[in-house]
Amino acid sequence: MPFEQDKEHGFRYLLRWRTMDFLEAILDRLWPRRLARFTGWLMMLPALLLVGLLVIGLFQIAESSLHTLDRSTFRPSEDFTLQNYRTILDSATYSWVLLRSVLGAALTVVFTLLLAFPFAYILVRTENAPVRKVLLVTLFLPFFIGQVVRAYGLLIILGTNGMVNQGLGLVGIEPIRLLFSFPAVVFGEVQYMLPFAVLMLAPALTAIPREIEIAASSLGANWLRSLWYITLPMAKPGFVGAGLVVGTLTLTDFAIPVMLGGGSQDFIANAIYDQFFRTADQGLGAALSLVLVAVGSAFVGIVVAVFGVGTLSMGIKK
Amino acid sequence: MISPSQKRIFWSLVWFSVLILSLPTIIVVGASFTAGNIISFPPDGFSLKWYEKIALARDLRHAFVRSLIVSIICLAVSLPVGTLAGIALTRYRLRFASALQIYLLLPFTIPLIGSGIGMMLLFGSWGILGNLWPVGTAVAVINLPFIIWSVSSSAAVLDQDLELAAANCGAGRIETFLHVTLPGVMPGVITGGLLMFVLAMTEFLVSLLLTDARTVTLPVQIYNNVRSIITPDLAAVSSVFVVIALAAVWLLDRLVGLEIFLKSK
Repeated sequence: MPFEQDKEHGFRYLLRWRTMDFLEAILDRLWPRRLARFTGWLMMLPALLLVGLLVIGLFQIAESSLHTLDRSTFRPSEDFTLQNYRTILDSATYSWVLLRSVLGAALTVVFTLLLAFPFAYILVRTENAPVRKVLLVTLFLPFFIGQVVRAYGLLIILGTNGMVNQGLGLVGIEPIRLLFSFPAVVFGEVQYMLPFAVLMLAPALTAIPREIEIAASSLGANWLRSLWYITLPMAKPGFVGAGLVVGTLTLTDFAIPVMLGGGSQDFIANAIYDQFFRTADQGLGAALSLVLVAVGSAFVGIVVAVFGVGTLSMGIKK
Repeated sequence: MISPSQKRIFWSLVWFSVLILSLPTIIVVGASFTAGNIISFPPDGFSLKWYEKIALARDLRHAFVRSLIVSIICLAVSLPVGTLAGIALTRYRLRFASALQIYLLLPFTIPLIGSGIGMMLLFGSWGILGNLWPVGTAVAVINLPFIIWSVSSSAAVLDQDLELAAANCGAGRIETFLHVTLPGVMPGVITGGLLMFVLAMTEFLVSLLLTDARTVTLPVQIYNNVRSIITPDLAAVSSVFVVIALAAVWLLDRLVGLEIFLKSK
């Protein structure tokens, strides 16, 4: 900003500069320069507090998981007990729900990675820019549409009068009940997780130089061998990252099991919701939530211990 | 390069993926234009009557406005918080940086149902449930890593000497921040803000736990209606989300280019 000279009053100090000086003076009062080495933490503080809400929330859950439901008053009882955890351990229903969630998550990881790998591979390797753009839009659009609307779309397709059944009808097959079954839930989860998996895999594939694959094939490896011995091992960090994200998100998912499973295919999250909002047994629901957090963390821990952190280490770049 | 048989197998799998990813969207949008009273495909004639119906439906309109309010609150909370944290992570040497990263990733590692139930109990004990601002704040918390990540990757490529140069020319700390640092990380702030806004618009599970009949947001309203009866008006509402998503993808492509997500880091 050039200095402006006012003819009558001499030099004019701009209002903007005065405001800025005023603000700087306040800042020097509130946060003197000798505190400079803590400035980073000061800027970090709001985020720490905000995430702190989740930590306090977990403590709240832990606290209420130690109170059983008093059936005479229908309020949580006063005394502390581990009875809720015993109920979960003893109950066949919850073992089934847990088993179903873990199985569903495992199948989803396998099918999703199977579909995500070729998708990411073509996405990274294609030299046709419009094709790449179309594939990227196909990937991002569902991500932004949201889970409920996507599940609703699948509901229409898989319904008794839906497209799949009409297609089967054309070749003379009677309509079958596709919805509200375990395969329908797994299919919904795969459809939901595919964009996440591709976006975790693609950077790992980009990091593999094309020349190595060319070298493999010029040394006489066919594509299956070069895939098995070159591409897949080098893409391992991407597979670990994608598998972790897909596995934990599926294990803890709520919307797909309830909408495509119709109440008959509950995952753990659905059981937790029911405890809070149907049976109003807060303590049991809270205990289940902690079990889910524990199972999820154990899964992450095992995968990380066996395979390393994969591409997740870049979560926040330093 | 790619052998013909590999090409055939890979492309057929890609086609299958494209099909299952885009078909539900196409069907929903197609079904919303039906003239009939039930969802059918191909649609039963063409009409806009279901759009007219949702425009007049009071509960849907209110739910849409509430979703907008939640998204704006989410932005108001997450933009300043995420920007400061993202800058602090990259521009300042913080001790315990790796522990800090693990802590900041908690919103992604704690299962959503756990985060939601925890905040429901917490907000319940504070007596603030039934308002929209706790919902907006909660949605900001669970998606916070997205904006921190977006801002910090912008801040990482900003030359540190620029700030020193500004200070050297006599700029104070606030002036340096407002005129050098903030404009430098603006691309990350805008991208992060876009993500936060759209994710808040479509957020479902935490909103389901934190809202009641009078504060229900649009995705929760759709969920409630799907469970009672499936009529084409829901397809019309869903199409609104498709339009929002299209706009978001277009904006994201214009701002940073979708290809940036393929880069190896």
